[in-house]
Amino acid sequence: MTHDKHEGKHDHDHDDHDKHDDHHHEEVAEVEDYPKDAKEESLKSELLTLNMGPQHPATHGVLRIEIKTDSEIVSEAKPYIGYLHRCMEKHTESLDYRGIIPFVDRLDYLAAMNMEVGYALTVEKMLGTEVPARATYIRTLVSELQRIASHLVAFGTYALDLGAFTPFLYAFDQREKILRFFEEISGARLLYNYVWIGGVWNDVTDTQLDFLRDFIEDFEKELDEYHTLVTSNSIFRDRTANVAVIDLKTCLAYGATGPVLRGAGHRWDLRKVQPYLNYNELEFDVPVGGDNPEVGGMVGDCLNRYYVRMREMRESLKIIKQLLLKFPSGPIMGKVSKIIKLPKGEIYMRTECPRGELGFHIVSQGGKEPYRIKVKSPCFTHVSILPVVGPGLMIADFVAAVGSIDIVLGEVDR
Amino acid sequence: MLDELCQEIKLKFPASQAVLHNPPENVGSPSIEIEAKSLREVALYLRDDCKYKFSVLQVISGVDYLEYFEVCYMLANFDLARSYEFILKVKVSDRVNPVLDSVADIWPAANWQERECFDMLGIEFKGHPDLRRILCPEDWQGFPLRKDYVAAKYYNGMQVYPDHKMNLEERSFIINSKSKQEELQKQSLAKGL
Repeated sequence: MTHDKHEGKHDHDHDDHDKHDDHHHEEVAEVEDYPKDAKEESLKSELLTLNMGPQHPATHGVLRIEIKTDSEIVSEAKPYIGYLHRCMEKHTESLDYRGIIPFVDRLDYLAAMNMEVGYALTVEKMLGTEVPARATYIRTLVSELQRIASHLVAFGTYALDLGAFTPFLYAFDQREKILRFFEEISGARLLYNYVWIGGVWNDVTDTQLDFLRDFIEDFEKELDEYHTLVTSNSIFRDRTANVAVIDLKTCLAYGATGPVLRGAGHRWDLRKVQPYLNYNELEFDVPVGGDNPEVGGMVGDCLNRYYVRMREMRESLKIIKQLLLKFPSGPIMGKVSKIIKLPKGEIYMRTECPRGELGFHIVSQGGKEPYRIKVKSPCFTHVSILPVVGPGLMIADFVAAVGSIDIVLGEVDR
Repeated sequence: MLDELCQEIKLKFPASQAVLHNPPENVGSPSIEIEAKSLREVALYLRDDCKYKFSVLQVISGVDYLEYFEVCYMLANFDLARSYEFILKVKVSDRVNPVLDSVADIWPAANWQERECFDMLGIEFKGHPDLRRILCPEDWQGFPLRKDYVAAKYYNGMQVYPDHKMNLEERSFIINSKSKQEELQKQSLAKGL
């Protein structure tokens, strides 16, 4: 009915115009007040400010990026962080060294085991504790499993960012198996409090290790399937290849580490360069961007960062296989005094986590509580590169760039 | 290696008064302390001219020692053949109005790290391109990681630190006296927990 009415009105208007056909042009000029000598340069134009986040699926958490766009092109990107700030560093000043472990868990909640291992190693190095061989093996095992689990989330959500839903389900299906193993050994699925100072909390049984052996066999095939499904997909390649290149110079200037640095072609992996745990006994490669010409793209682009992660999963599997072959028996806890007091002094130590290098700067005054703990978070560094990466990208490509850096806001804000 | 580096810095910049701190009994990380006024020239030297070429600034960690602030720059070179890292330390003795030169143009990584240091400890970095709070809200009062910081009870008229939620005694991790432990157990039983 409305339509009819509208049309009727339109017809009426039309008739009107027909009647006063002579005055038609004059009327338009009067109404719109359009400058006759308007050129493209004299027209007023401004950049459109767009808020990406804080609640946005592509930001992987509560991150807000203020984007200034010129039509579809990002001309300025300004990240705002702190939405998940939980004063972790302040809290640690009033907790004893054991009580800090659950807080450390909550830094990078997708790789809690790696966080715990990093923290425990730092405190142990200061204390001079000797960790039994079995505990070290278990630590390496859980770190590598957690690396796979974390990279699976990165892989799944990255595909999700680029519009493919199915890989996400595939990835979470496999991650579930790792989480089930963690649940068996630690009782928790996400935040474990499993790696303690001096060793690990609970022993791993042979049946649990057999479960892992089955998982490894399945997962190798599954990884091949991921490559068929996603890596060789032409839409995925178009979206990621040659997009958001972070070159080596920028990486070093901003202190980027992990897959971002390796994606830029630098073979820097702390597990190789400064081996901790028992990585010096294990054989594995460090995949970098550009060392496989079949991948395509440019060194340092989204595709290469993604591909480094995919290959790291395979390397982690290799490590786990070697660990399972010679799993030592023995105690799982070293000798640690009941109340831990670090000697006066300070230490800075870093470990290789799925997202980059995690460092702990612990200052001790000799008491049972630390004087200051500063966490060097890899994601904090990576978010700070976004203002450099952003300009010149399409908005959709910017989403691809954020996804390829793989941030966890728990660690950025601490 | 650090002995040599410290001597070099001392020779090139006598004003820096570089001192090497080796950790006691080899527990911990060694560091080189320099005067605040020669921070920028030493930083430039460490990045470009010295033979180790510390091209990466990993993190800036500020520590409040009550009499003074100490700002630690964790430097490294990601050189595969010979990788080195050490802590460069600068003391800021003025607590009321702490100012330090910014190194954000030398290592771009310092941009955000200095912002965090400013946010948490209130150290002002002179010459920083965009010195704003980064983790706390912009209108937050005080600097949380200072040792004399008292948590605000109100923020913008909202109660953020209510007493009934912050019964620290009940939540303390180590309960020393046994009678207190029993008392707490009784209390929780009475509450039906």
